[in-house]
Amino acid sequence: MKPAYKMLDEQTGRYLPFVYPEELPFWEAARRHELVLQRCDGCGRAWYPIGPACPHCFSTKWDWSRMSGRGTLHNYVVYHKAWTPYFESRVPYAVVQVELEEGPRLTTNLLGCALADIRIGMPVVVDYEEIPGDITLVQFRPAKEQS
Amino acid sequence: MTDTAQAMRDRTAVSGVGLLLGKYPERTSLSLAVEAYDIALADAGLERKDVDGIIQLSYGYDYDRFLEAVGADVRYAYQGWSHGRFVAPMLQHAAMAVATGMAKAVAIVHGRRSKAYGQTADHEMWRQGLGPHGESPAYGALGPAFGAAIAAQRYFHLYGGSNEDLAPIAMAFRKHAQLNPIAVRKDPMTREDYLKSRWIIEPLRLFDCCQNNDGGACIIVTSAERARDLRKPPVYISGMQGVHAGRQLHNLTLPGLGVAQQDVFPYRPTREDLYAYEMAGVTQKDIDALITYDAFSPLVLFALERFGFCGPGEAREFVKDGRIELGGELPINTGGGLLSEGHMIGWNLFIEAVRQLRHECGPRQVKDAQVIQYGSFLGESVIFRR
Repeated sequence: MKPAYKMLDEQTGRYLPFVYPEELPFWEAARRHELVLQRCDGCGRAWYPIGPACPHCFSTKWDWSRMSGRGTLHNYVVYHKAWTPYFESRVPYAVVQVELEEGPRLTTNLLGCALADIRIGMPVVVDYEEIPGDITLVQFRPAKEQS
Repeated sequence: MTDTAQAMRDRTAVSGVGLLLGKYPERTSLSLAVEAYDIALADAGLERKDVDGIIQLSYGYDYDRFLEAVGADVRYAYQGWSHGRFVAPMLQHAAMAVATGMAKAVAIVHGRRSKAYGQTADHEMWRQGLGPHGESPAYGALGPAFGAAIAAQRYFHLYGGSNEDLAPIAMAFRKHAQLNPIAVRKDPMTREDYLKSRWIIEPLRLFDCCQNNDGGACIIVTSAERARDLRKPPVYISGMQGVHAGRQLHNLTLPGLGVAQQDVFPYRPTREDLYAYEMAGVTQKDIDALITYDAFSPLVLFALERFGFCGPGEAREFVKDGRIELGGELPINTGGGLLSEGHMIGWNLFIEAVRQLRHECGPRQVKDAQVIQYGSFLGESVIFRR
């Protein structure tokens, strides 16, 4: 992959993420359907958003590390207003914050879950969504019970 | 700490204010800023040559263009990022520039078009990490309201309550706006009206969100001594503290709510978190009215807990039964706030504080107001007295 700074896919009207150069390993892993974040060689902790040093101990020695993909739904809101025409057929939709087992929280959507079934504290697992621009978004879905 | 704190107490004052709010489709942000500056000069009884400092936030034009437009040269200029959280710091920088002799009179000035040409606010959502209110456009996490909605959701999750607890805030500020001739939103609002207003980002409704409008604003700061010789009664800058920032203060929230990477804990302010009171030599009990940043109604709950007017999770009860209305125990946003007076980033909030302390607010005057605090959820504060 290469860095990408396209805000919008013209064909669908969908907003795209910027792929910043230092974040390429995250996006490349998502293409392979793997969730990787940075993990500190010093204190062993992972973090998000992606950044140049460990925000816990400020070590600059770290590596990309595969996360378990398991987490808890920590927070959510429901969009009723469509910010652009693309969202008119999608509202109401939820934006969630997921707390990974490893600690960091990601802002994503929750796939395969009716709005009425969303509960703070519910177990979730990572999922992936292919979007225009050859980009794969990290997403989450409800974890199957007793899995 | 106390000696240092007292060094700034009442040394500077607001000497002049100017405010325009409404719709100005034929105007630019520059011309609105220039007009507000002219009004503030007249209000203070100052001339252009008397102002030797300028601070503003970038919004479609820059500080040097403003100075060209008003034909002025200054020896103190600064420009910041256009977000409400940075209005208090501008006023604070103005006070510090005057107190240290870097300038004699500093104008903080702003012009705003809801559609400002040259403004880049939408692009901010694509910043590395997340946008300035936690936005993430590819996931449909859009607009500043997102930051307030996720914080409100966590607040209700931790402390109980729901969207309905925000109704008294929206209703109180609307009542205040009805007593304010320049307010943009003045239609009566009942609890039923509030509950019928459409969802924007659940748990926030339309009436939990401020509207966009055009306008201009200017506040002129001079030394206290000089202010006493000018046209209007001085409004002294008694205490102040800065914007608190970091992982625990992400975006539009209160520490401890667990938004983004925040820890989860019941927040209680420390002595250091309340430095402005120490500087001003007052406590919460002395505050005759609280003015707070209310682009979204939940921010009012967070400000009350941030400054210890009530304990963790208690603000949703605190705002009920008229306590935050004019005549109540702690009137808040007596001009109607951003929610109902209008969105001038925050300048209009400060100007309301000044006018209350000059006792020129007519039917919405807080009786015998002596001390008014601007204090917002991120901790930035300016305490004014007459």
